[in-house]
Amino acid sequence: MSRPEEKFVSFDIDGREVRAPEGAMLVDGAKYGDVEIPVFCYEPKLGPPVGACRMCLVEIEGIPKLQTACSTPVKDGMVVITKSDRVQSAQNAVVEFLLVNHPLDCPVCDAGGECPLQDVAYGWGPGRSRFIEPKRHFKKPLELSPTVAIDRERCILCYRCVRYSQEIAEDHQLVLLERADHSFVGTHDGAPYVGPFSGNIIDLCPVGALTSVPYRFRARPWDVEEAGTVCTLCPSQCNVTLTVRDDNKVLRAFNRQNDEVDDGWLCDKGRFGYQTIHAADRVVHPMVRDGGTLRAVPWERALSEAVAGLRKAGAGTAALVGGEATNEEGFLLQRLLREVLGSSHVDSRPSGRLEGEHARVLARPDLSARVSDIDYADVVLVLDAEPVDEAAILDLRVRKAARRNGARVVVATSRPSSLDANAEAVVRFAPGASEAALAALGAALTGGAGLDDLARRAGAPAETVRAAASLLGAAESIVVLWGERLSHGARGPQGVAALLALMRSLDITGKEGSGLIEIPSSTNARGLREVGCLPNLGPGLVPTAGEGLAAADMPGAVGEDISALVLLQADPLRTHPDRQAWAAALDRATFVVAFTDFLGEGVLEQADVVFPAPSYAEKEGTITHPDGRLQRLRQSIGLVGEVRPQWGVLAELAAALEDKPVELLSSPMATEQMVAAVPFYAGVTLAEIGGRGVRWQDRDAASSLAAAELPDGALESPPELGDGLRLGTVLSLWTGKVTEHAPVLSFLAPQQRAELSADDARRLDLSPGDVVEVGFDGTRVRAVAALRDAVPPGSVFLVEGTRTDNATALTNGAPRTVEITRVPDAVAKGTSLPLAADAGAADASTSVAGSAEAPPA
Amino acid sequence: MTYDPGPDVIAVQRGPEPGGAGGAYRIFGETLRGLKTTLARVAEGPVTIEYPEEKTPVYPRFRGRHKLQRFEDTGLEKCVGCSLCAAACPADCIRVVAAENTPEHQVSAGERYASVYEINMTRCIFCGYCEVACPFDAITMGHDFELSDYTRSDLIFTKEMLLAEPLERTPLRREGE
Ligand code: SF4
Ligand code: SF4
Ligand code: SF4
Ligand code: FES
Repeated sequence: MSRPEEKFVSFDIDGREVRAPEGAMLVDGAKYGDVEIPVFCYEPKLGPPVGACRMCLVEIEGIPKLQTACSTPVKDGMVVITKSDRVQSAQNAVVEFLLVNHPLDCPVCDAGGECPLQDVAYGWGPGRSRFIEPKRHFKKPLELSPTVAIDRERCILCYRCVRYSQEIAEDHQLVLLERADHSFVGTHDGAPYVGPFSGNIIDLCPVGALTSVPYRFRARPWDVEEAGTVCTLCPSQCNVTLTVRDDNKVLRAFNRQNDEVDDGWLCDKGRFGYQTIHAADRVVHPMVRDGGTLRAVPWERALSEAVAGLRKAGAGTAALVGGEATNEEGFLLQRLLREVLGSSHVDSRPSGRLEGEHARVLARPDLSARVSDIDYADVVLVLDAEPVDEAAILDLRVRKAARRNGARVVVATSRPSSLDANAEAVVRFAPGASEAALAALGAALTGGAGLDDLARRAGAPAETVRAAASLLGAAESIVVLWGERLSHGARGPQGVAALLALMRSLDITGKEGSGLIEIPSSTNARGLREVGCLPNLGPGLVPTAGEGLAAADMPGAVGEDISALVLLQADPLRTHPDRQAWAAALDRATFVVAFTDFLGEGVLEQADVVFPAPSYAEKEGTITHPDGRLQRLRQSIGLVGEVRPQWGVLAELAAALEDKPVELLSSPMATEQMVAAVPFYAGVTLAEIGGRGVRWQDRDAASSLAAAELPDGALESPPELGDGLRLGTVLSLWTGKVTEHAPVLSFLAPQQRAELSADDARRLDLSPGDVVEVGFDGTRVRAVAALRDAVPPGSVFLVEGTRTDNATALTNGAPRTVEITRVPDAVAKGTSLPLAADAGAADASTSVAGSAEAPPA
Repeated sequence: MTYDPGPDVIAVQRGPEPGGAGGAYRIFGETLRGLKTTLARVAEGPVTIEYPEEKTPVYPRFRGRHKLQRFEDTGLEKCVGCSLCAAACPADCIRVVAAENTPEHQVSAGERYASVYEINMTRCIFCGYCEVACPFDAITMGHDFELSDYTRSDLIFTKEMLLAEPLERTPLRREGE
């Protein structure tokens, strides 16, 4: 489906001639003539209207009965009356009727002051009630889930929440139970409504029936101010509005609709994750290591120690940049390293290396799709990524494209995906074999030579590859969501080459509304790369004179070429493969500076200087969306504790190292310098970015990116699959600080679980819930066995980034085969499960071994 | 060059100046008329009220220091922390932070109660809007107007102060007084 063109028709409303887009519902069309028609159930985001509440009745000339304006499209020459006595008495009647069972307990209701029911009752209601009979009663307040409270007495049965659950989130959990005035909203089985996007029903509910548990009774609209910024908890970079009280406390986050980014939805991580900003254990003072432990010190002391340490290390400094850093911060850090310290060891990617040529091809404007292209794509290809866990809001986008516009979804992943049910073709390849899978898809598209061999190397049935390829080949427009993961590891460059070859055979650059959208492994990954946080590429993806070491090579070089490490909101023990190597590297490094908001174990034990990192609500600067949209972070609250702006600290460090006065005085100055350094950002101003962001590909300066050609050489043949159980690691939406430091989300903290097929479980004599150890040689990770039918035999999946038993202990960027052993019950009982296990041990595998009371049988 | 104001000039029309007799009356006659009133009151003796030893009684509807009410039977607070008074207050001097009642800690009759309730008396203009806005008659205005203190911060009245029985130090005007 291609993007529909807008045509305008003119119609008459309340005696006024109005032009509105054809096909718009009357409610929306009326707005073009500044006429407001009250609604409750109408919400265009939820898809086609249902006409459940009758609030929007209007008179249309030529139709004897009143019509619902929310489900009547405007037509040329239509004559509409919204202010006649007939309409008014109908509106009065509907309001009176809706209020029959409504408790009108506004003073204790959280929606009070921002409640559409209050507004409509004032604006269109009769003003007095004739109802003296008893109202219906429900037990209240109840928790629909740990994050959403439900008050059924207040519900006006508009169906919005139910439609959301059925048609947007597609979790099919919420239903309207019973009939008539006994109806109430609940889950079909009475279980809590838990899902990655459940919080959206709070925004949708037009009354105070569904309210947020953490915001419960916190404030009224007139007690607070609203601050628009961008969520930086995952690469989706949803636009959010933060509710701020007393200029210093974030009380809630809700959507700030931007159809080019989030379509007006938020995931629960973004909605409730703001609680981490005010977590009691957040780092809000600078600290230095003093006699073995970290102690809070004044800024001057921390800065001078950092300067001394970095000066000593000089060119032996390496830096890791985490995804929460802004473009400005990344830019200043790479400049600090390259120009002041003379080191090129800076990387924002956790694993593998990105060839300069590949980076420039991937950045080509005609090769990148915008998020809204998903809506109208013929085929959406999800490649080695699980959107719901890695860039949550794109999951809803793909579902929407499939449901509403008939997009055909093709999923090519190793782990069963939550989009499988919506997919028309699924290619399930072995973990780590994405390169072979891509090559196989390419072969199937170009005649099938070598397909069987490649499919075998990918561990995927050849017919599934063929089915997927035939869908791709026939498509007029294709949007490819590809996971950065396929570029990780030692064979990352070959993976990217295979991806680009596939794009070439699909002729994607020649297709309207088609392109790639990367799902990176961290929030601002794209921006950080573009501003120069890569060992081989400087700002603007320009090759640098000397090449530094990529993240994967850093641990090995610590103690030789590298003596100091700078961690800018990065925690390699959590997110980078080969945890042991990183743990040892941090230990060996003579000097470690960390910018962080929470003390991860590596920082806690190894950092010499810790600078408190501002949260996204305290930051000022820009970040770049995976589709190239520059977005603006705006400071919403005062800096917490003694936190200072991170760009300022980096500028101060650079100035002190050079013995110069600080020249960078404000965040806009930093933005200006960053923009000036990246040719294809040239001329972007904060005002131009504004509240909606601007894609750099859409600006004239984009042409300054030297056009790199899609490589057309023959691909290397991908490696053979080995025997044995192959380990795949996956990301989870719920790992990291949100579940560890936001109290309301803590119930979602993931336990390490080993997902495997029923066949393998039978072979290994495992049943669901067994405590197992997964590993190879001496390295083991403890997990709970979980059987999943859709997992192909021969694969086992673990979660990356858990607090204990992190799967990164077992990965090093190369495919890995593992063994699984059951931990005997006696031992399993004697030890706490992974989640409850004590944090702080430097190494997950030793912590497990050390906590076992009896020797494993 | 002289300034030419152009057509903007407005000519002021004056009445005729009073002559000699009229002028004299203006100076002495009117003054004497005023003095007549003054001197007539002398016989009545002094009317100064010796505040603070003596206080003017106030009318029943006089709007003085606020009080937060409790239910007489249960002792629960009437205020549910809805913040409507804060919304109504034109001087923006009321701060309410609500919290949730629990069975172990039942403060008010509804689901929520005010965990913080402050009125900044230095800003209050005693308009009584809070009283009007309150859906539960929880905040009322009493008769005390003696609110001065030595520091500004002492004039931020907390919930405890507002809930406490106020000192009745202002006499109420009797019926017909
Ligand atoms: S709970 Fe809210 S959104 Fe759901 S049906 Fe009731 S009023 Fe509508
Ligand atoms: S999907 Fe990502 S960016 Fe959007 S609200 Fe959730 S965490 Fe934030
Ligand atoms: S005093 Fe009345 S209006 Fe003010 S918060 Fe309490 S209940 Fe609401
Ligand atoms: S808004 Fe039209 S029927 Fe509900």
